Amino acid sequence: MRTSSILLATVLIISRGIPSTAHHSAAAQDFTKRVEMQGVVKSWEIMNPHGKLVIQVSDTKGTRAIELETHSRNNVYRAGYRDGMIKAGDKIKVYIAPNRDGSDGGYLVAFETADGTKVGLDASQR
Amino acid sequence: MLRRSRVFLIAFAIIVVATVAFAQTPAGRTPDLTGVWTTYRAPGGQAQGRGGARGAQPELPLRPEARGKVQEYQRLISGTGDTPGGYCLGTGMPGSMMGSGGYPMEIIQRPDQITIIYEAHNEIRRVYFGSRVIPEKDRLPERSGYSTGRWEGDTLVVETSKLNEQVDQRYPHSDQARIVERYTLSEEGGQKVLTAQMTMTDPAFYTAPVSETKKWSIVPNGFLMTYECNEPAWLRRLEELRAKSSQPTK
Repeated sequence: MRTSSILLATVLIISRGIPSTAHHSAAAQDFTKRVEMQGVVKSWEIMNPHGKLVIQVSDTKGTRAIELETHSRNNVYRAGYRDGMIKAGDKIKVYIAPNRDGSDGGYLVAFETADGTKVGLDASQR
Repeated sequence: MLRRSRVFLIAFAIIVVATVAFAQTPAGRTPDLTGVWTTYRAPGGQAQGRGGARGAQPELPLRPEARGKVQEYQRLISGTGDTPGGYCLGTGMPGSMMGSGGYPMEIIQRPDQITIIYEAHNEIRRVYFGSRVIPEKDRLPERSGYSTGRWEGDTLVVETSKLNEQVDQRYPHSDQARIVERYTLSEEGGQKVLTAQMTMTDPAFYTAPVSETKKWSIVPNGFLMTYECNEPAWLRRLEELRAKSSQPTK
């Protein structure tokens, strides 16, 4: 349990870099904040210049689909993602930089799959 | 007297040959930059400069008209999150060389051409030498310009011109910009380090030349990934065509 916590903390530290403007401006999301969410994968597109994860979430605001943008296919792979790791119907825990305007969604900076695999994305290499 | 002159001449010739030989790398005439490189990281330290953790950036000595063009561009994209990379467009020079978004680059070196592949956006630069260099009138303007190279001892000097005017990167410039990069190899802790010192001169946009230095670390046995970016747009287009073709004809 302690090892798991340390691993996750490491993942979050890695993901706290300062965003670059290589592909996308950081204007829309607040990278100084992290929000943890749990949900079920509706769709996952690993592509360039940015990937897209849609998860079904149920919380006090109700049940709805939330769209998250993430790193390029190349950087998601380098962070440890491998083919088939995320599939529709899977449970997933995500850590996001939330939208500045308070709307649902944000930028995916780390995730943990149902089998406990943790992937942290270095936000300095968006 | 004649014998002494001959001895002196032979000694002088040996010194000249030895000086030339030692001014360059012992293995070949020039250093070999071939390999995969990533943003420099000191042992146990953070990535340096562009693409890694960033510090405050100095104000650029832009002329008022150029500053106006940059501000107009920034107003245009403000709040959209849009960048060239978001549309699968490469950074262009000198931005690509100054970091390329933190992605690695690969250098393939031949005597008459050095090819630089930046993983981000599959951006490619070609640096030509000698007879591979075409006349200026035959060059087309590009975001990465046209680059020629020469060796000054162990330093690779690359000169780039014929650039498009660009306001969508860290170093905006006019189509009159000229960029000189000086590449040197060194070694730190048994690892190769490549230092690129860039100076851009552009009297149409700047009141003074601008410079930056970027360091890269070798990635032993490294590889680049293909950066496929346009496929989603193409697949969307096919979906549109399918939807159109399935509509009943009037």
